[in-house]
Amino acid sequence: MTAFLTRRRIRIINQVCWTVALCVAAIPFVFPFLWMVSSGFKSAAEIFGSPSLVPREWQWRNFIDVFNHQPFARQYFNSLYIAVIVTALTLLVSSLAGYALARMRFAGAALIALLLVTALMIPEEVTIIPNFFLMRWAGLVDTHWPLILLPTFGPQGIMATFLMRQYFLALPRELEDAGKMDGLSRLGVWWRIALPMSRPALAAVAIITFLNSWNLFLEPLIFVSSLDKFTLPLALSNFTDPYGTPLWHLQLAATSLAVVPILVVYIIAQRQIIESFALSGVKG
Amino acid sequence: MADTLPMRDTARREDAPWLTLKMREAMEAWLFISPTLAGFLIFFGGPLIAVVWYSLTEWNLLTQQATFVGLDNYNDALFRNPDFWHVVRNSVIFAVGLVPLNMALALVLALALSGRFAGVVVFRTVFFAPVVTSAVAWAIVWKFLLQGEAGFINQILALVGIDGPNWLREPNWAMAAVIVTRVIKMVGLNMILYIAALQAIPRDYGAAARLEGASGWQIFRWIVWPLLGPTTLVIMVITTIGSFKVFDHIYQMTGGGPENGTLVLAFYIYQQGFQFFDVGYASALAMIMFVIVMVLTIFQLALRRRDT
Amino acid sequence: MTSLSLSNVKKHFGRVEVIRGVDLSVDRGEFVVFVGPSGCGKSTLLRMISGLEDISSGVLRIGDRIVNEMPPARRGVAMVFQSYALYPHLNVRDNMGFGLKVRKAPADERARRVAEAARTLKLEPLLDRFPRELSGGQRQRVAIGRAIVGNPEVFLFDEPLSNLDAELRVHMRSEIASLHKRLGSTMIYVTHDQIEAMTLADKIVVLRDGLVEQVGTPRELYERPDNLFVAQFIGSPKMNILPIGSVAGALPAHPNRASHVGMRPEDLKLTDPGSGLVSGRVLLSEYTGASSLLHVELPGGEVFLVAYDGQTIDADTALALTIAPDRLHFFDATGRRAT
Ligand SMILES: Nc1ncnc2c1ncn2[C@@H]1O[C@H](COP(=O)(O)OP(=O)(O)OP(=O)(O)O)[C@@H](O)[C@H]1O
Ligand SMILES: [Mg+2]
Repeated sequence: MTAFLTRRRIRIINQVCWTVALCVAAIPFVFPFLWMVSSGFKSAAEIFGSPSLVPREWQWRNFIDVFNHQPFARQYFNSLYIAVIVTALTLLVSSLAGYALARMRFAGAALIALLLVTALMIPEEVTIIPNFFLMRWAGLVDTHWPLILLPTFGPQGIMATFLMRQYFLALPRELEDAGKMDGLSRLGVWWRIALPMSRPALAAVAIITFLNSWNLFLEPLIFVSSLDKFTLPLALSNFTDPYGTPLWHLQLAATSLAVVPILVVYIIAQRQIIESFALSGVKG
Repeated sequence: MADTLPMRDTARREDAPWLTLKMREAMEAWLFISPTLAGFLIFFGGPLIAVVWYSLTEWNLLTQQATFVGLDNYNDALFRNPDFWHVVRNSVIFAVGLVPLNMALALVLALALSGRFAGVVVFRTVFFAPVVTSAVAWAIVWKFLLQGEAGFINQILALVGIDGPNWLREPNWAMAAVIVTRVIKMVGLNMILYIAALQAIPRDYGAAARLEGASGWQIFRWIVWPLLGPTTLVIMVITTIGSFKVFDHIYQMTGGGPENGTLVLAFYIYQQGFQFFDVGYASALAMIMFVIVMVLTIFQLALRRRDT
Repeated sequence: MTSLSLSNVKKHFGRVEVIRGVDLSVDRGEFVVFVGPSGCGKSTLLRMISGLEDISSGVLRIGDRIVNEMPPARRGVAMVFQSYALYPHLNVRDNMGFGLKVRKAPADERARRVAEAARTLKLEPLLDRFPRELSGGQRQRVAIGRAIVGNPEVFLFDEPLSNLDAELRVHMRSEIASLHKRLGSTMIYVTHDQIEAMTLADKIVVLRDGLVEQVGTPRELYERPDNLFVAQFIGSPKMNILPIGSVAGALPAHPNRASHVGMRPEDLKLTDPGSGLVSGRVLLSEYTGASSLLHVELPGGEVFLVAYDGQTIDADTALALTIAPDRLHFFDATGRRAT
């Protein structure tokens, strides 16, 4: 071995190679976002011109037209408020059930856990038809109720329940016992001891639930028909001319508006968000 | 004792001997679990039974009446309607293309990113970013990039003298495009799970093997890979089941086309049920999907039990 | 006056019976210690008294009331946990006052009681700290303080000192003893530590496999163990047991049914070879400072432990042992005391 190839140098060369390879691999992950934003600023004419990442002419108007094409602000708000409600409800319902499954002894606990596990695995597509008739019967078609109820009680909510259960199981039991000795009711132990100690699990559930609701597509597609009740994903797919041809510049501008805020939050809180997904996957 | 205890004051009144501690606990547990249970029965249990019934009926759009037709819908699917097998073939191709690609890429990325060198966090963040993005947005952008002549990808290919196909207009290319873009979207999730598993492997294992003169590849082959076994299994099943559920991505990117070239099971159910209003037939398809997923799940449980 | 009593109390988890019928009566102000091998049900029994576990069958009385189905907080008992179980998000003051707050005691009374308990336990300088800012011993004191604040009729301790180092343990042990004297409350205390049991207890309850083996004062258990199990469990090092047939020398008068004889290591004396009750050769001599522990192998192969405080004895030395006749313990074939 020549003196040039010391162990240290080999290590550095090795690392440089890996880094270059990873950078190349990262292109298809990053580039679509850049191109999306850049194209959102291009005119309908330029958009299929010779490719350039920086628009020749910044067409800010796209971002105004987006709101004129359809009630995009209203749709944006719909997505936001629905996601907030679904998240809050899921936190409440799943942490209650998860606590009971983790800590309380009652006949039938094992059976219920088994039933819930089956629901965890089954895709929404299987039950969506009867659920549609159920909602129609209840007069809830073209309202936001199905978009709140189905995710909260569907596979996502059940996954949250098991995540919470898993976390509660690992908490020190004596602390809850101390709470009982101090006179807390079950609800009190859950609220004042178990929940405050479960912040990481609650955060994970909140993050995953929020994103899931924000990105939900099948349910809005089926249950919502009025433009001003659309949620974002549905609205995005709706930037077309009357013949169904995409109005690319508007569609990409709108998509940027929908995606960029999430990405910003994601980049700020990436550690927390990635850990949340890891937590939910590990238990699976 | 001078102090009277607040707890003693109430005790005498509220002994409630008719309610044992055990009953009280069970009652409270049922209360805690009742919202979840009610939701489960209303939005999953009930519909699951209903879908069995629907699958045995024919739905008349005009009269809104259901007639019992026995296994007709299943017969249609399995023996009469060639579309069904075409759809199953598409779903299988989709899964067979997506799962290995996704898992292999996830593993390679995880191996590269499970260490602690400068930039590792940046790379992880990048590879995971599509996971938090909505599938619709992701599909819109890729559909845009993959346009025919004027699409960005083809313009780049033209620069190096390649005449790219009209990706989303040719059935085979469309399927490939959907698979690859889906892998890019979801691989970050499996990467994270693999990284977590890799980081759980004690460092001593590798060190001990290295002392015995094992090469990097040998360490991976004989130590790391076997230890990743349970994770690989979980990822495989989750990814496979996930691939059967894909709907929004395909809906937005190809709409099931061209020539039904990307029409997969989940999409077919939607199409039959909500575009053609063939409720009976769509329900039979849903039941078939249910069976497929159940079989996969039981298969996973069986494998896991054998492992432990 | 009886403070607490159990009659034929049983507990099963699913099919497994863990407490198999316990009778016990505890007088007001008494300090009772539960001892027994790991897994014998000490904690379970304590948790049944506290109400944290329900009672499968039998009757539990606290004061003059049957409390089987009474929720924990109404029983007038307080518990000190092995892990201290302090609420991590509350400071010491709020930890101690939490129970009163939950029971909606007026704020001024709460403050008064917390202050009083803090004074008793010298916790005043720590009141504004959080549990993570306290040492193990301090946490333990706060945990005891929290129990005092509720002014319970009965204190329950589950191995409260087992997470402390040896020195602190001795110190806290004496603090608990003086606390008991000052408050005069009934205390029930679970421990693995013989010395804790012997020094603290008015009454020791020896448990095995969910059954009471013997109840008595420390002295009674040490001097008149009811059976072989208690004889070997109480006292350290363990009592030596021999079949009567293996004793070489002449035993004093003893009941016919006696089949085994027990001798405590600290009661045995060295004597001239040839005389004495048993003889053997030294296998090992462990010097512990104040005395040595001799391992003596008898001709039959049994190993006898002897506490010895004389000159060094080399291994392989042959020696004979004797004992005062009233220090002998006889047991029958079923293991019961035979006197
Ligand atoms: N919740 C439970 N479910 C099932 N079995 C249990 C439960 N709690 C305790 N046991 C069993 O009951 C028996 C007694 O347990 P317990 O904790 O009372 O023992 P212990 O005497 O306190 O032991 P240690 O000295 O180790 O603390 C053990 O065999 C234990 O496995
Ligand atoms: Mg114990």
